[in-house]
Amino acid sequence: MSDAVIVEAVRSPGGRYRRGGLAATRGDEIGIQVLKGLLARVPQLKPEDVDDVIVGCSFPEAEQGMNLGRIIALGAGLPNTASGMTINRFCSSGLQSIADATAKVRAGWSEVIIAGGCETMSHIPMGGGNFRPGPDWLYDGSMPNVYVSMGVTAENVSANYNVSREDMDKFGMESNRRAYEAIKAGKFKGEIIPITAFKYKVLKNGKRVREKFVFDADDGVRWPTRLEEMAKLKSPFKEGGNVTAANSSQMTDGAAFCLLMTQEKAKAIGLKPLARLAYFAVAGCRPEEMGIGPALAIPKVLKMAGLTTKDIDVYEINEAFASQALYSVRAIGIEDRLAAGDVNPNGGAIALGHPLGCTGAKLTAQLLHELKRRKAKRGIVSMCIGGGMGAAGIYEML
Amino acid sequence: MAYEIRKAAVLGAGVMGATIAAHLTNAGIECVLLDIIPFEFTEADKAQGLTEKSPAWRNRFAESGLAGVLKAKPAGFFTKKNAAMIRTGNFEDNLGWLADCDWVIEVVIENLKIKQELFARVEKVVKPDCIVTTNTSGIPIRDICAKFGPKLKANFLGTHFFNPPRYMKLLEIIPGAETGPELVTYMTRFCEEVLGKGVVVCKDVPNFIGNRIGIFDMSNAIRLMIDRNLKIDEVDAIIGKALGRPGTGIFGLLDLVGLDTGGHVMSNLYEAAPEDEMREVFVPVEFMAKMVELKWLGNKTNQGFYKRTKGADGKKGKLVLDYRTMEYYPATKPQYESVSAARKKADEGVATTLKVMFNGTDAAADLTREYLCDNFIYAANRIPEICDTIVGIDNAMKWGYNHQLGPFETWDAVGVQAAVEVMKRLKKKVPKKIEEMLKKGSGSFYVTKEDGLYFYDFEKKDYVKLEANPRIILLPELKARNRTIRKNQSATLLDIGDGVACLEFHTKMNAVDDGMIEMILESCAIVEKDFSGMVVGSHAANFSAGANVFKVLIGIQMGDWDILERLIAEFQHANMRMKYLSKPVVAAPAGLSLGGGCEMAMHGAKCQPYGETYIGLVEVGVGVIPAGGGCKELMVRLTEGLPEGVIEAGLSLQHVYAKAFENIAMAKVSTSAVEGMELGYIRKTENISLNRDQQLWDAKQAVLGIAKFYRKPKPAMIPVMGENFRGMAEAILYNMRQGNYASDYDVHVSRKVAYILSGGDCAEGTLASEQEILDLEREAFLSLCGEKKTQDRIMHMLNTGKPLRN
Repeated sequence: MSDAVIVEAVRSPGGRYRRGGLAATRGDEIGIQVLKGLLARVPQLKPEDVDDVIVGCSFPEAEQGMNLGRIIALGAGLPNTASGMTINRFCSSGLQSIADATAKVRAGWSEVIIAGGCETMSHIPMGGGNFRPGPDWLYDGSMPNVYVSMGVTAENVSANYNVSREDMDKFGMESNRRAYEAIKAGKFKGEIIPITAFKYKVLKNGKRVREKFVFDADDGVRWPTRLEEMAKLKSPFKEGGNVTAANSSQMTDGAAFCLLMTQEKAKAIGLKPLARLAYFAVAGCRPEEMGIGPALAIPKVLKMAGLTTKDIDVYEINEAFASQALYSVRAIGIEDRLAAGDVNPNGGAIALGHPLGCTGAKLTAQLLHELKRRKAKRGIVSMCIGGGMGAAGIYEML
Repeated sequence: MAYEIRKAAVLGAGVMGATIAAHLTNAGIECVLLDIIPFEFTEADKAQGLTEKSPAWRNRFAESGLAGVLKAKPAGFFTKKNAAMIRTGNFEDNLGWLADCDWVIEVVIENLKIKQELFARVEKVVKPDCIVTTNTSGIPIRDICAKFGPKLKANFLGTHFFNPPRYMKLLEIIPGAETGPELVTYMTRFCEEVLGKGVVVCKDVPNFIGNRIGIFDMSNAIRLMIDRNLKIDEVDAIIGKALGRPGTGIFGLLDLVGLDTGGHVMSNLYEAAPEDEMREVFVPVEFMAKMVELKWLGNKTNQGFYKRTKGADGKKGKLVLDYRTMEYYPATKPQYESVSAARKKADEGVATTLKVMFNGTDAAADLTREYLCDNFIYAANRIPEICDTIVGIDNAMKWGYNHQLGPFETWDAVGVQAAVEVMKRLKKKVPKKIEEMLKKGSGSFYVTKEDGLYFYDFEKKDYVKLEANPRIILLPELKARNRTIRKNQSATLLDIGDGVACLEFHTKMNAVDDGMIEMILESCAIVEKDFSGMVVGSHAANFSAGANVFKVLIGIQMGDWDILERLIAEFQHANMRMKYLSKPVVAAPAGLSLGGGCEMAMHGAKCQPYGETYIGLVEVGVGVIPAGGGCKELMVRLTEGLPEGVIEAGLSLQHVYAKAFENIAMAKVSTSAVEGMELGYIRKTENISLNRDQQLWDAKQAVLGIAKFYRKPKPAMIPVMGENFRGMAEAILYNMRQGNYASDYDVHVSRKVAYILSGGDCAEGTLASEQEILDLEREAFLSLCGEKKTQDRIMHMLNTGKPLRN
């Protein structure tokens, strides 16, 4: 069996929901440009060598509907011979696509795969355009509620596991601070593919025009930010609740992709392997507290690998909500590592955004480039998943 | 010259200017709002990245005026969306915008020189037939326009709004010496018909009518308080509802207006009216001067005559000032025998309670007598100085100060002769004209004769007929002239002329009862046969506050489900009868139009709402659901007008029905007719009456407008989402329950709403008949009536007037 290696991992900048840099650009277009940017970085690879394109997407409908994987593949100029598919496990879709690609390559079923995720939340709402929960599903607690609002689950985690409002706000503030510092230091430049985005403008004569511009940096960071201001916000999910806009992830547009291939292929065409996804696990939990997912998936994947938390150099734990991210960090006993800057070292989704199906691939790009900067060995990408799940993957640098 | 106002400019964006602009947009008039540029460019501005050229800096005053009115309570706009009709700018850069304005109204600071300088610039840019007015309350019109050219002088007058302009009915029009008479006629009509105001044409005298009489009224009350050694809250308890005055009392009102403003108007009046025999009362008393010095200016500084407090436990308290020690003490509820006696007779109307107070024997009655007599004498002495007729003064006080009766009407209520005797006893100087009037045998200021209302004219020394406005339909007058067609204890059908009938409700709060339903059905039969159409409306404050829940509760307690079912079925039938009558029915809702009231208003061929219409389906508050066709009709309204075939092609109605669900399950009520349109209870194509007095006439015109070619509507087939909507509602309700926004019982009631809106057991895309939805409404209503918690909610509402959350 041949090992599957990642030779490059890139992402678009995260664009803020409806007011950000990607708000007027179609989701498939963002995906196409990131894929083109990826291909441009590896001229050694012949386009006809790409066997499959796997795209994770949480609400694959409307402009990111049909078969987004195939649309992005052909849109980016890959030949007809390159296949494409779209997969969905909500917020872990981007990581799941890399895991599936790894498995396929290792099994010998594919030689070269591009895997990642793509999501435009500015255009496709949470729940999708046609939200149709089952009318006969029992909502009285006798059945797990797969339709529960994410905000409610975050309030549940805060209440059930005693994560205080103050700690959540501080966590949110630190996320913004780290992201601000990282952008200022130019840390993301190596992983970002600038997007030629669109915006609509009204000219002085009243005519509307579509203009192109280059969007090249995450635009969701709020810094400076003040705890007193954060403390004033009210929860939209619960009367007197703790979960607010300032301690929750932002809705975001973006795409991210990795290039995977057999070790032999990389060697044959002269590409240096960057890393590999060594282990991957998913774990289920109650949908009503889906945020605890990483607290289950991370121990599971560590056990699988025979490692402990100490063996991991950097964690990227998705900040869907401060309540669940902080709880997960505490549950697996790495709060000291959070303080030391080994967990979400460059800020997380509260500052940089959470483009659902793209997030797993986006965090992979962030993690691998951070590990490279640190010349470190191992990292974990993990996230909670709507419906009550967690996913975690262990990356090893090569 | 034919004037026509389509676009206006308001100069000055303080509270008054901005709220006037807001009200103009309520009337559909586009507005320019200008103010000065800020006095200096500060470091803070620079830090914000502004320059002296930035519009954000230059237009700051106008912008902040607009922002202020968007936050104002009560709201200045019918809907915040109206703000888009206001364009903000400044006097330096944007005076040119005035060139295409039909009306320019100046509302800048009360400083003659500043006003004159501004008008000199305005004169250069406005078009020749532009109407130019000032909102001054204290500066003579003749001084402001002294330097105008003849053209502008002819187009200039005073338009004095009362605060807040949206809600206060009074608008004083003050023509200058050279104002064209046709302009006065036009502006009077415009302000009445378009802006909905009650216009009183005034003379160019200090403080015109409203504030002249009003300020005397308040200043004199303060003087009497000190003379009689009374306390502030005592005076407010006496000069209140029993005397037909607003519940705030005199000092509550002064706190609202602001002591600085109030004091300013008083001293202004003292200077401007040297001949006034009561001039000395306008000198601010010592303790008020002290209050101004301490900046205890009223509500805007959080303390004035009263001070609201909030304890550590979050409990709210109210303190009142002891003006002798200048210290606050907890407000009490002073009790007086006469006030209690009056309260017991409140149902008989203000004329009765006034008499009780005036003829009482306690300290409250003593104050009432002297206070009212002073008012009577002062008002009588102001004719013809400030107004030629008693009618102008009475209207000004009713419309500008919310007095239920003007001074002369009040005088009539207590008896002219009786008051004169009290005056003599109190050694007051009875005005000669009153003695003359009584000597002539004219014992009251107003008399109703066969052909209408007459008032006493001091100059003619006789009664003069009050000229009727043909646009004001007065139902009591029509009843007196035998225009009643049919009536019972709950409603009356009247002939309002030109082949149009009017169905008037007159139960308490116009609550829907069986008598009303019976009259709807009878009226429909009569109108179908003998009339071109029907208006449904009245003069009552509220169109209808909903079903008579007391009767529903009795039905429940008697366990008589048949009666309840029949009642609901009849109400549905009555509403459907109106909707499908072969003659057009135009509903004229105003004030509260809730629950059953909303349902009736929705079942006309058209609706002609008053601007201040508070409409909504609020049934869940008492644990039931709209069952008079409210759910059904909202479903029709929100889905009508869809292109053919789109439902069959798979159009999703989820957001449409989510809106209907939110409206009903959260018992949303509009704060204006425009918001009623936004909620979907009034069609957006309807016209809104801003003048309540003319609403029935407007509705009658609407009937006549469509009667000629009227065909009753085709039965609606309503596209529904079936079980898919139920699923959606369940998911939403789960989240609301989790977030504690809804109780278990709220969820239970909302589920019933969802089931009705879903169209029952059917698939998405089904077309349901109106009757199917009505049947679902009835079934849900009856099943909820059988639940203990619904009964608790009804009981609680009857006992406290407030909804119970259980």
